[in-house]
Amino acid sequence: MTSSSVPGKGDNRRAVDPITASVIQGALESIAVEMGYKLMRMAYSSIIRESEDFGAAIVDVDCRQLCESKQSTPLQSGPIPGYIKGINKSLASRGEEVRPGDVIMHNDPYGGSSHGPDVLFAIPVFIDDKLVGWSATTAHHLDIGSLSPGSCGIVDAMDVYAEGLQLKAIKVFDQGKKNDMVWHMLRDNIRASHLVVDDMEAQIAAARIGAERFIALIERYSYDTVMGASEALMDASEKMMRDAITKIPDGVYTATGHIDGYEYSENPKEKNLPIVVTLTVEGSDITVDLTGTADQVDLPINMPFEGTVDVAIWLTIRSILVDSATVGYVPQNSGLTRPIKIVAPKGSLANPNFPAPVIARFTPGLMIADTIMRALAPAVPQQISAGVGNLKVIAFSGLEKGQHWVHMEIFEGAYGGRYGKDGMDAVDTLYANTRNNPIEDIESHLPLRVNRYEMREDMVPAGKWRGGIGAVREFTFLGDGGYSVEGEGHLFKPWGFEGGQEGDPATLRFDRHDGSTENLPSKLPYRAAKTGDKFIAHGPCGGGYGKPLERDPEDVLDDVLDGYIGADTAKADYGVVVSGTAVDEAATAKLRQSMAAQ
Amino acid sequence: MKLIGVDVGGTFTDLVLTDTSTNQTIIHKVPTTPHDPSEGVMTGLIELCERNEIDRASIDHVLHGTTIATNAVLEHNGSVTGMITTKGYRDIIHIGRHQRPEHYSIMQEIPWQDRPLIKRRHRKTVTERIAPPKGEVLEALNEEEVREAARALKAEGVESIAVCFLFSYIDPSHEERARAIVQEEYPEAFVTTSSDISPQFREFERFTTAAMNAFVGPKVRNYVKNLEESISASGLKADLHIMGSNGGVATASVVAERPVFTLLSGPAAGVLGGAWCGELSERKRLITFDVGGTSADIGIVTDGRFGEATARDTSIAGFPLMVPMIDIHTIGAGGGSIAWQDVGGTFRVGPRSAGSQPGPAAYGRGGTLPTVTDANVVLGRLSKDNFLGGEMSLDGPAAEAVISEFANQIGLKPHECAEGILTIINASMANAVRSRTVQKGIDPREYALVAFGGAGPLHGAEVAAELDIAEVIIPPYPGITSAVGLLTTDHKYDAIKTEFQVQGDIDMERLNRDFDAMQANLRKQFKAEGLSEDEMKFERAGDFRYAGQGYELRIDFPHGKVDEALMTQVFERFHDLHLGEYGQNYPDSPVELVNARVTGVGQMPKIQAEVVDESTDRSLEAALVRRDSSMFRVDGSLQTFETPYFRRDNLPLNEDIPGPAIVLQKDTTTVVPPTCTFRADLSGNLFIKVGGKK
Repeated sequence: MTSSSVPGKGDNRRAVDPITASVIQGALESIAVEMGYKLMRMAYSSIIRESEDFGAAIVDVDCRQLCESKQSTPLQSGPIPGYIKGINKSLASRGEEVRPGDVIMHNDPYGGSSHGPDVLFAIPVFIDDKLVGWSATTAHHLDIGSLSPGSCGIVDAMDVYAEGLQLKAIKVFDQGKKNDMVWHMLRDNIRASHLVVDDMEAQIAAARIGAERFIALIERYSYDTVMGASEALMDASEKMMRDAITKIPDGVYTATGHIDGYEYSENPKEKNLPIVVTLTVEGSDITVDLTGTADQVDLPINMPFEGTVDVAIWLTIRSILVDSATVGYVPQNSGLTRPIKIVAPKGSLANPNFPAPVIARFTPGLMIADTIMRALAPAVPQQISAGVGNLKVIAFSGLEKGQHWVHMEIFEGAYGGRYGKDGMDAVDTLYANTRNNPIEDIESHLPLRVNRYEMREDMVPAGKWRGGIGAVREFTFLGDGGYSVEGEGHLFKPWGFEGGQEGDPATLRFDRHDGSTENLPSKLPYRAAKTGDKFIAHGPCGGGYGKPLERDPEDVLDDVLDGYIGADTAKADYGVVVSGTAVDEAATAKLRQSMAAQ
Repeated sequence: MKLIGVDVGGTFTDLVLTDTSTNQTIIHKVPTTPHDPSEGVMTGLIELCERNEIDRASIDHVLHGTTIATNAVLEHNGSVTGMITTKGYRDIIHIGRHQRPEHYSIMQEIPWQDRPLIKRRHRKTVTERIAPPKGEVLEALNEEEVREAARALKAEGVESIAVCFLFSYIDPSHEERARAIVQEEYPEAFVTTSSDISPQFREFERFTTAAMNAFVGPKVRNYVKNLEESISASGLKADLHIMGSNGGVATASVVAERPVFTLLSGPAAGVLGGAWCGELSERKRLITFDVGGTSADIGIVTDGRFGEATARDTSIAGFPLMVPMIDIHTIGAGGGSIAWQDVGGTFRVGPRSAGSQPGPAAYGRGGTLPTVTDANVVLGRLSKDNFLGGEMSLDGPAAEAVISEFANQIGLKPHECAEGILTIINASMANAVRSRTVQKGIDPREYALVAFGGAGPLHGAEVAAELDIAEVIIPPYPGITSAVGLLTTDHKYDAIKTEFQVQGDIDMERLNRDFDAMQANLRKQFKAEGLSEDEMKFERAGDFRYAGQGYELRIDFPHGKVDEALMTQVFERFHDLHLGEYGQNYPDSPVELVNARVTGVGQMPKIQAEVVDESTDRSLEAALVRRDSSMFRVDGSLQTFETPYFRRDNLPLNEDIPGPAIVLQKDTTTVVPPTCTFRADLSGNLFIKVGGKK
């Protein structure tokens, strides 16, 4: 290789042969995988190590993502390029520069972050004093100094100041020197800071490894070659997306979804809020316009345009059009997002004005994703699922020997039915893909009991391919503590498709130790809890796909034998007569005929 | 003593006999009989004895690597299986960790939902509940419910039952009592408990492992029973031992109870065989590189020790598996790997493979897709008439045709394209090696690469060059290294107990008690198998993490009673390893002991180095088969070289021979690029000294 190893002045993006491009792609991917692997294994908080709510990526000097770790959750890696843009903006506004040896901390939701608790640590990568890119990790932290414990369920924050520390391009290492004062401030302002700070150090260690490996890659192949290969990969990804978009008939596709917002609010502008998607396909381009979506509110369900709204849209379109189960593994990079343009009116939920609060943007963002799918459904009916049941997070906390414990548990949703397949049961959905915590881990380390974790048996949304079924989970406090709830999907049913039944919303019941009981809304700010208080959470069921009368009777029988539905439901919903452990075919044919005639 | 190693592969069943009194080794190969692999095993055993006039009754041990359990999982045709589990938790194995296998996919499958090991209708719940930390009984076991569940499962036609209760790793008594009741009600059933298979926390993974054991149990039990009977009916007096994923063998009866321990044993035997061959040449730091038609298995051996995979990283067919296993990194890269262009136009090779049917185009069985083997043929690196020792000839024009067509599609010249296929596949193999070395703080340059399997010796030198590794070792019989590996094993059993004890508050008495109890159990097992005290060895280890973390690192315990001083030593080792593995440690943070482990090793007789046959005519002239042209990239450009093809058996000993060269032998072809030299070693290995990088 003859070209220099540092960025040249002129045309440094020379064409790279396809073999080298492929080899460099493999090398970049293994860098990101290594970063993710190490971060997850070092991390202390279950939200990172078990739920895998973290991200890792290498970004180029133009803030384009070259690779991301496969283990992480999409909502974490996706925003990283936006964070780097935000860092550059903050630094420029203050007249500061990045230098070799810097490690920069950033969590500004108005500067690329998805929300405050997702803190990024970025290392600007230099070769011979020239910036060649960024190595960065993000992670959802247990606590970031908000008004109440935890970093989920801060659903009553009135503005971003109430959401905790705002960290805008803070150098925690300045030219290699640790900025101790910043670390003191973090320790003093964050609950359970011993965990949070150690997790932050793990993030830095993982980002350092990424930087080292990226330098080694450039030293081996030259900067021009690595960038040329990356360019080729992004072009290939872009082409892949454009080819997929071209297959969709040109036109305008629209859909509206609703979020609960704050069911108990007296202000009508804070509940039953519309999310409106207008998707225009023109050749190989898609424009997504969110005009019509509700106005921003003084409660933290506003969604950062960069970091949440864009990621929700990109990832949903990608999962439908460039589905890895269909086209094989395709690395995520910025090329995939080039054909997609996003418009959201300023001052709406999807593009709020500073300092509107955003910390609870997670579940409304999922509704954007679901509504995108709903809009695309008529265009690509064999590539979508019917309505997806939304998620919920409960933050449990308490004080033990003067130290805070905080535990955030994500409660699963369910997908709608799909062409040729039932919906996925009891899983994390859309742009989120975290993990639950083992019961045997929770009970061994926290004053909590998990009394029940199994599938719902009261509801199966019918369809030719039925909706995914939700789970039931019960938690009891074994000591006094507190909790808050951040979720969606208690009021509106996931949509059915082409004759499939609508899905079923989630519910959350709270049984107190004193015998009283209460049905909780999907969002609830911090409340104290007493020993013996218990949550009973029913997850949502996704919508059905296609007419129930067309469902294979053997599949209906399976659901009866597996205890999801009774023989009476098989008859009423599907026109299938089950006798003993078999389908009565003659009776079924007759019943279906008469039901179809109605 | 006479030992026979029998390894059943997809196409051939390989047998190696060694006589430890003469150090003589005999090799035999018979076709695998997929409908019942024991037929091929028996044919091989009988033929091996007959052809070499060996008295069948003189064979002491048969060591066997089997894929019966693995195939049952991959083909999803195990038994009709049932579960008895704690009331309230019927669907742990259906919900899993509620994570989708793919981030970006609507149409994906979830293995545990789409292909359940145990259908929901066969999952029965009973009242019982144990709680941490000490096993407090919140609900007593309702024995009548267990009885009813067993009867119901029997009536439903279930053949095999897994008993899976929460927190059974703390106290297995409920599971054990339930098993006894099931056996009373339904004596013919195969019954497994989760605490017996893997007494570790994390219920989804443990229950799934137990379910997997139950799913494959009856099949393996029948297979082992039939094979033992056939062996004794044929006049062999040998004991049957079966290879486990942990790199040791177990008796047939142990495997019949816990077949899940054999699921990943195929590649394990390969690592052992590779390690043994490396040690023949006195190399102690080895990277084993076992490449077949569809996959490459990579193992690391440092000073005779293998890495063990962490319980959270092992899986099969998309299901998590919590069993002790040698750390082997497998990637979809082999001779049959297909070159393709993805929908964005990127040049890719693998993981899809043409397998052996239709196989690469060069096999002439109708393969129409360009593969790694075809690329090797086009570049003149595989002899067209000497493939598999002349048993099969390769179709050169067919290989050229598929490569040219693909080259056209991607816009490259055919030879450049062929070499590109090798560059890409070699780079992904090198990345796989890096993930187990560089990424874990190990410098691969201090290691030798042992290349074997049908395709390992074709790629070994170039992969080594990619990693700056100086030496490649090609074992004497690269195609049957797994069968050789079987003859290097010991009996090996693992015991484990979840502890959850934190530094500063460690109950030494309890820990010593737990270690002693585990060791006593293993000793009992060895004694029952007839081993004497001096044939057994016990190693203690712990899985540690900083309190609060979720992943553990394995640390060996020094010998002796556990006390403060010993624990201090162990914690020091943990801090060091954490730094090495992750590039960071937290020396001021408390460390948690998650699991205590004891590994019992019962010594077995082993294969010894073979004596080189002095009578063979050894010289370059004698070895030279012919000269032909082959292509290599040197100094950045693809060049044609006049290349000698040698017959391995006739190579002179201890003489450095310059590359390029192609070395032929019955079960593989070794490629020595122009920048390398090689020599045949007294131990029977071929040594390649890797020269300048391209």
